[in-house]
Amino acid sequence: MIGREVAWRVFAAEYNSSRLEIKGEGERAPSYIVSPLGAMVNRVFLVGVLTDLDNIGTGDEPLWRGRLQDPTGNFYISSGQYQPEATAALSKIEPPAFVAVVGKTRTYSPEEGTMYVSIRPERVRIVEARERDHWVLETCKATLRRIEAVADAKEMAAPTVDELVKLGHSPLLAEGVVKALAHYQDVDLGRYRAMVVDALKFLLPEYQSEIEAEMPAETSQRPEEIEDEEAAEAADEEKEDKVLTIITKLDKAGKGAPWDEIVDEVKRMGMDKTALEEVTNSLLDKGLIYEPVLGRMKRI
Amino acid sequence: MEKQELAPHVAEISRVLGNKVSEEQIAKELDTYLNLYRVSLETAKRSVVRKLGGDPNALSKGVQKKLSELAGAEQSVDLLVKVLSANRKDIEQNGEVKTLIYGLMADESGSMAYTAWDADRFQLERGQVLLVRNAYTKEWNGKPQLNLGTRATIETQPQDAVKLPEGMDVPIYGPTTAKVSDLQEGMNSVTITVKVLQVETRKIETQEGPKTVYSGTVADETGRVQFSSWHDFNLIKDEVVQIRGGYVRSWRGIPQLNFGERADVQRVKGHFPADVDLSKPRPRSIGELEMVGGAYDVVVAGVVVDVKKGSGLIQRCPQCNRLVQNKLCRLHGKVEGQYDLRIKAVVDDGAGAITAVLNKEITEALVGITLEQAIKDAREAMDPEVVKEKVEERLLAKPIEVRGNVISDDYGLMMIVSEARMFVPEVRGEAANLLSELEGSQ
Repeated sequence: MIGREVAWRVFAAEYNSSRLEIKGEGERAPSYIVSPLGAMVNRVFLVGVLTDLDNIGTGDEPLWRGRLQDPTGNFYISSGQYQPEATAALSKIEPPAFVAVVGKTRTYSPEEGTMYVSIRPERVRIVEARERDHWVLETCKATLRRIEAVADAKEMAAPTVDELVKLGHSPLLAEGVVKALAHYQDVDLGRYRAMVVDALKFLLPEYQSEIEAEMPAETSQRPEEIEDEEAAEAADEEKEDKVLTIITKLDKAGKGAPWDEIVDEVKRMGMDKTALEEVTNSLLDKGLIYEPVLGRMKRI
Repeated sequence: MEKQELAPHVAEISRVLGNKVSEEQIAKELDTYLNLYRVSLETAKRSVVRKLGGDPNALSKGVQKKLSELAGAEQSVDLLVKVLSANRKDIEQNGEVKTLIYGLMADESGSMAYTAWDADRFQLERGQVLLVRNAYTKEWNGKPQLNLGTRATIETQPQDAVKLPEGMDVPIYGPTTAKVSDLQEGMNSVTITVKVLQVETRKIETQEGPKTVYSGTVADETGRVQFSSWHDFNLIKDEVVQIRGGYVRSWRGIPQLNFGERADVQRVKGHFPADVDLSKPRPRSIGELEMVGGAYDVVVAGVVVDVKKGSGLIQRCPQCNRLVQNKLCRLHGKVEGQYDLRIKAVVDDGAGAITAVLNKEITEALVGITLEQAIKDAREAMDPEVVKEKVEERLLAKPIEVRGNVISDDYGLMMIVSEARMFVPEVRGEAANLLSELEGSQ
């Protein structure tokens, strides 16, 4: 039986932190990206606010690129002539709008050891706030299930799929969690729990004022003129790449790289403090880095 | 060992001895070694051959190999394997209907598809550990495939003789106490406590004359399941019984509970289960259903993530009811199709996906369109796709709850929907509860 790939519910912060890809071997074998919490994602379902949308292709060969925001960050989507239904739907949408997307995962590796993830939509639909709220709640529940599975696995000396299934986790998730634990060093569950708490508060009017201050900032700029989509991605992410490398290099004690040292380091490659702030904000948005304590940046 | 099981070994010894000794004599000798002296089959065969003047080395040319070592043209090979799946299939060969078994076998090195060409001789069951002798391989679709033909023999081995890599093994069902939602194809010796919702008798003709089958529906708080019994346990509607020694077989993925005269049925006193209305189907996770392969009368809730081709306004053949495409029926050629409405929607709950098939009545109610209106719309637009677009407008990316029987085929799970409704989820209350749980635990 070849079942259809399930559409995972994953927040942007978790999705964008994925650095492990499992490529299907042989014809038609599906590929997956494995998130730090063990979601083995081939297909996603997400609902968010479409904030940016540009056709960087031509009228005949459209290529739509867009950004969809959820309470934790942004999803990057791109849709061209090979996704006729999604592309036709996107061409009729004027941001901002609540949009639901069913799509496939996509990865981009500008160089060995780095990987960026985006989404290639299959179906796109304008929806209403209540569908978005429902998605946020469902995604909170799904994320908590994954946190629980990772926590269970961390208790085991050598976590196995069978042991996790015995504890009541689904075989698919158990497989992803075992793979994730082998690849990601020390996943910070506290951070993901805090993320779920914030997302739940986002749904409740009594916490609204508290949340607004924490909403992900709209910082990353996309270049206006781009030749093709890979160049577009590369231009924006080249700087981010360099900063990421620097942060990794300066994080000697594992407590994060000191901000002042990062500033000094990027100066040498001709980046000023404002530009650096833009880059780190974008990295924070994507969930690639976080600030364990004030004044320190750490890779996730 | 029974005579029938011995037959292939007798034939092999006879071959080694150049057909000079009668099979009757060989069978008698072999029987003595096996059933009187109780030596292993291999020793018995070698001894018989030696005793009757043959060369024991001529026995079973097969070399024991691992599955990963097999090429596409092995003539004769022995394997120590576990049966991961065993499916029966009827084929027609030279005008005769014959049953074969196909599925997957595995050892430490990997797994391989197999076909056993005689279901009577190889009574393969899922989970068996076997020493297979004299199997051969053939290449199919670029991969070697294992075949158990006329020369092959099987011997059951202890379960721990084959240790499979993690994740590949099949669950072995010993005597289990189960709930209805746990029931899964291949389970034996099941103990289960259920309430009888419905029971009826049917007379059927068998080779041994007419027999009565007792069948119906039973339920517990996890769900409902259809049962059948060849023995009269005098089951009465609404009573609660504990069944010991039931077994599960499935039809197109829907598990069915069976129990025969060897089963034990006891009446259970008291309310059961007090707080659940058993007359209603139980909600299930789609991921769970993917694991068991199907279910009888359940409810699932999820989001419509796709509306498949062949949804909306379709045409059916007036003779066979099959889908008519480009005015052609697959069976009856050019026909005047009759209009119908239906939806094939993919419902996904984040744990699994299922194709829900909705008939005309349910489609009309859900989408708010009649068949007549749909025909009119399609004619006006000169394109039947406008009806599918209307279906998508109403369903896509929205939460839906569907009820029905879940079956499985090559493409995954499918539900024949008996009831469907779009629902507006209650978000805030659940979010607040979840939040206080989380903050309470911190």
